[in-house]
Amino acid sequence: MIETENLTRKFGDLTAVENVTLKVDEGEVFGFLGPNAAGKTTTVRMLCCLISKTSGKARIGDFEVDREEDCLAIRKMVGLLPENVGLYDTLSAYRNLDFYGRLYEVPTQRRQENIERLLKLLGIWDRREDAVGTFSKGTKQKLAIARALIHDPQVLFLDEPTANLDPEASKTVRDFILELKKEKRTIFMNTHNLDEAGRICDRIGILKTRLIAVDSPENLERGTFKRKTVVHLESVSDAVLAAVKKLSMVKSVHTSENKLILDMDDPEKDNPELVRAIVKAGGGVQYVTELRSSLEDVYLKLIREAEAQ
Amino acid sequence: MRFWKSWIVATKDLSLFKRNRYILYSLIAMPVLVGIVLPSVYLFFLPADVPSATVTLLVNLSTTYFVIIAVVLPTIMASYSFVGEKVEKSLEPLLATPTTDGELLFGKSLAAFLPCMGATYIGAAIFVALVDYWSFSRLGVFLLPNAEWAVINGLMAPLACILSVESNIIISSKVNDIRAAQQLGVFAVLPIILVMILASTVQSIPLLTLSLIVAASLAVADIALFYLSKATFRREEILTKWR
Repeated sequence: MIETENLTRKFGDLTAVENVTLKVDEGEVFGFLGPNAAGKTTTVRMLCCLISKTSGKARIGDFEVDREEDCLAIRKMVGLLPENVGLYDTLSAYRNLDFYGRLYEVPTQRRQENIERLLKLLGIWDRREDAVGTFSKGTKQKLAIARALIHDPQVLFLDEPTANLDPEASKTVRDFILELKKEKRTIFMNTHNLDEAGRICDRIGILKTRLIAVDSPENLERGTFKRKTVVHLESVSDAVLAAVKKLSMVKSVHTSENKLILDMDDPEKDNPELVRAIVKAGGGVQYVTELRSSLEDVYLKLIREAEAQ
Repeated sequence: MRFWKSWIVATKDLSLFKRNRYILYSLIAMPVLVGIVLPSVYLFFLPADVPSATVTLLVNLSTTYFVIIAVVLPTIMASYSFVGEKVEKSLEPLLATPTTDGELLFGKSLAAFLPCMGATYIGAAIFVALVDYWSFSRLGVFLLPNAEWAVINGLMAPLACILSVESNIIISSKVNDIRAAQQLGVFAVLPIILVMILASTVQSIPLLTLSLIVAASLAVADIALFYLSKATFRREEILTKWR
């Protein structure tokens, strides 16, 4: 659904986005992670035909980004939630959505149905005639998401959808995105919120001007740092330690209080033999767990590496 | 260009203006004031034995003030058009809609043009009513509307208003601050005002002919400026230079 090849954007001497190549499938929720000024918003703006690319290629569906005759079609098939909600404060919630629905060429009947459905879904229907200026930040954000969905777009771009929201409002917005995920819409989401990205996104791209990594949250967590096996014992004796060190599949072993922390190539295959060896050496195994790196660890490691280059 | 799209943009802007009392009062004050003050000069200060030809000339020249009003009012309305969207941060979602530059610009122009001309005509109507009241009671004739009035108000004023609207919209899309837009807008309309004042002092050509010449020139300038505004409208620049 979304495809880019060496997508690059320069502002004078400054390179905002460099050689980004990625593919987002239909119905996929793709998260774009990166620090401030990493090029996330610039990428979204290029994909929405709001700004031009310096070089490279990008396609949304069958349409070529940046080709003048395709841009109107792209704008029609995508919905955008920008970083700033940009609603008209003096107009009512209904009037705001109606205005955009008309610009997106949604027929009257469907427009009215969509407005009612979205406002009811987001719990703002009762306040539809209130001026948007009287809404809280969270309610405005929900309304802005409704605006992005008013024309039933196939692709949805969300730029920091939960930024500056309190935890309750963030949860409402997150739950709504999860609802949209069930509807099999293609969602491209810029975010700083690693926890949110891990929970919502099928795949994550980490961007720091260049695309550093793209994978599922699970694979990113596994791939960047090796998983470790942690064996909790009643106590760590010299005999147990010696027995473990003798095992060929154990690459390294560290102790911490009454725990053994081990590096192994294939824990699923080797853990049973490891446990048998510990028990045979007189060790009392309390439980065996896996030590995994968090998405935050992965993100910070990759960003630091990119900065060091 | 799909005019219905421009109309959607225009009606939204008109709804926003309607809710802004400051803009409404600023818009209506000047034409109403001029519409009342100008005829009052005839009512109270002209000598009783003034020839009717002189009165007609004065009335016709005064009518040109409404062209100047139609030029000045867009500095309030049109200067707000894109800067207003920038301030409300609503420009990005608006530009993301399947709307062309021409449709957006035409919609913004309509939204500024209609209230400005509406207010100008309210002032002009008050002016006509007061002048006719005075002329009928003093001279036994209704001086207005006449051919000059019709050309000046029906052609020159709207064409000059369009020119001012377009100039102010170009400025509004380039600057980031409402005050800057209004100040630059005033500078931009000064040459138009100057031309109007100079035209009103020309004695060698009958006022009706002169008005038609000025109107034709304004029409050409309007078309040229619309294409210029389309050519200089840069979505990208507006988005990336605005913080």
